[in-house]
Amino acid sequence: MNAIRFQRVSKIYRRSHLGRTTETAGLLDLDLDIPRGEVFGLLGLNGSGKTTAIKLLMGLHLPTKGEVETLGRRAPDVAVLARIGYAPEAAYLNKTLTGRENLRLFAALSGIPSAERERRVSEMLEKVGLGKAMDMRLSEYSKGMLQRASLAQALVHGPELVILDEPVTGLDPLAIKEVRVLILWLKSKGKTVLFSSHDISEVERVCDRIGILSGGRLVKVMKQDEWRGKADALEAAFTAAVVRTDGVGPIRME
Amino acid sequence: MALRRLALMAALLAAALHAGSRMRRLHEPRFPRLAELKVGPFAFQDAALAAAGLRAPAADLAWIELLQYSAGGMPELVDRPGHPYEHLATLSLRVTRLDPSMHRAVLFAAGILAWFRGVERPDEAAELLEEGMRRFPEQPLYALYLAAIAYQRRGEADRMIVLLESSFDRPETPSTMRTILANLRQSRGEYREALALWERIRSDERDRSEHARARIKIAELRTLLGSPPHDAQR
Amino acid sequence: MQTISAVFAYTLKEHVRHKAWLSSALFGLVLLGGSLIVSALGQDERARLMLDLGLAAIEVIALVGIVFLTVNLILQEVESRAIFLILTHPVRRADYLLGRFLGTVAAVALGMAGMALMHAAFLSLYGWWEPGRYAAALGCMLGKTAVMGALSLLLSIALTSEAAAMAFAVFLWTLGHFSSEMRFLADRSGSAFLKTAIVAFSHAAPDFARFNYRDFWHQTAPGGDWLAWTAVYALAYTAACLTLAVQLFEQKEF
Repeated sequence: MNAIRFQRVSKIYRRSHLGRTTETAGLLDLDLDIPRGEVFGLLGLNGSGKTTAIKLLMGLHLPTKGEVETLGRRAPDVAVLARIGYAPEAAYLNKTLTGRENLRLFAALSGIPSAERERRVSEMLEKVGLGKAMDMRLSEYSKGMLQRASLAQALVHGPELVILDEPVTGLDPLAIKEVRVLILWLKSKGKTVLFSSHDISEVERVCDRIGILSGGRLVKVMKQDEWRGKADALEAAFTAAVVRTDGVGPIRME
Repeated sequence: MALRRLALMAALLAAALHAGSRMRRLHEPRFPRLAELKVGPFAFQDAALAAAGLRAPAADLAWIELLQYSAGGMPELVDRPGHPYEHLATLSLRVTRLDPSMHRAVLFAAGILAWFRGVERPDEAAELLEEGMRRFPEQPLYALYLAAIAYQRRGEADRMIVLLESSFDRPETPSTMRTILANLRQSRGEYREALALWERIRSDERDRSEHARARIKIAELRTLLGSPPHDAQR
Repeated sequence: MQTISAVFAYTLKEHVRHKAWLSSALFGLVLLGGSLIVSALGQDERARLMLDLGLAAIEVIALVGIVFLTVNLILQEVESRAIFLILTHPVRRADYLLGRFLGTVAAVALGMAGMALMHAAFLSLYGWWEPGRYAAALGCMLGKTAVMGALSLLLSIALTSEAAAMAFAVFLWTLGHFSSEMRFLADRSGSAFLKTAIVAFSHAAPDFARFNYRDFWHQTAPGGDWLAWTAVYALAYTAACLTLAVQLFEQKEF
């Protein structure tokens, strides 16, 4: 059974300014099934459609065409979000709250009963290494601590599907390793993980499959056995598949 | 969903309109129209405060400005020589047009215009009282002052004073009016009555602003009556 | 309900911990102190001035506060992207909006209560003590604040520009004090079309002058049934604005 299903999904952004309407394709005819229990990596350059695909899954965007399903429910579906954990590329948290208050809020929003909430919050903060900082305001957190707080809110309700948007971008090598360990732990618990990244080396270490997006189109899907044990196989496939759409040329220093 | 929500919104707006009309039926505040607020240098201040929904505070500030003017401290409004308090009626009308319940402004101005020594313009005072009465008929002192002015015009000073003194202890009687009454008694040589009135003024917390003057007057009147002024020194 | 109360609680905390809230509360106290000093110039009318100017200071601070806070309430969360994390939890947008709105009204009401306590203490020291009428005046001010807040929130969602929303809110606030003037104008108008248009507009725009119990209690104070209808008016108008705001908000993509 699929955890995620995109059926011929397109997302076109329309912007009007001074009577002129411009259209930009965020995603074009995306067909993709991700079965339960799989770790799937979305690879692509900036503007390739990774975040758009995730926002469609989370109901933050509505598809212009096609259908999106998460855990068997057609998106957008508010109820199904209780079974999904999402951490965006940066920790978009309300900095006026403390770590504990922040997680308490998301625990309440996820429907965790109040009797259980405090225990789950403390446990999760301990698990992500914020046990000693849980009563500090988020405004005093470092970037790494904020990233952990963001992961904590994605996991506090024990979701079946975890969606991580660029989870290792901007992290130090130690933190990157911790995220890798986390993803593998989630996999060992039978969770489905979808994550987007620019970092090919990270993706190839943890994913069962990857999809390469370029200019809003899914240009290639690869299984682990296509790159495992083959040096630079994924990087070569990626470089061959993607086309820059941002008008920037390659760096040449001959 | 959208239609259901729009229907709900329409129902809520209808409920609000119904409640609004019930409110109007139960109570209609009596504030004169904004077009009637036309007092030269203060027009902008009054219109701005009224537009912000602050009619009573606007009247309060106008009252302070009226007091400032009557104390001679308003450079925008200077009286021509020989025309004391020539802007007093206009300023008190300004207050009552902002908020007719601020009746003390009209009573204060009418008292000065009708009975203050050196002013004595009862016709102006009567006009003022008539407008005040039209805007706030439940204030009984408007009619009482008008009746007192009528006695004054007929030369029946005794009846006028008795009538005015019947309102001496009413809470809406301005302190200034009380001092005017005491002075009226003194000007008629009725020192004992004048002294009694000044003593009532001095013992009333409401007239705190007149206490210093009351002490001086009491001393003066005691001297005139031939009794020692020791009491006034307290 | 759990969602609304969670959003309510974090919104209230967010506002109360914000420097702007504290500054405006302090400014309100300064204004209140100023009005007490000015009232000393009122001679015979000192108690009335103390009462009117103090209540006016509380109302002005509350209205400026509610317009500023509600106009920024959603726009700032969109800008900081904190809304991503909230709406990717099982939160109905209507619940989110209601929780945010109620939390903001509660924060403003808390500020009003603080100022009112100080004001009432001064008034009672001066010998004025009519708690029933004072509470009724405060209740009407809170009703006005709630309607203004709902209106500003609706404008901020409809216009998506803080400056435009604030300008329109101030315009409607002023216009709301001219409803009776507009109906008077309509009576005088010769054109049936103009008359109908003015009357319709004067009814549709919120009649803020109706809430000025503190302004007209010196005349004849309206009774309990009037106060009950005022509560109905405030609730119905606020709910109507919020319903439309929810409708617009649900169509938004983030």
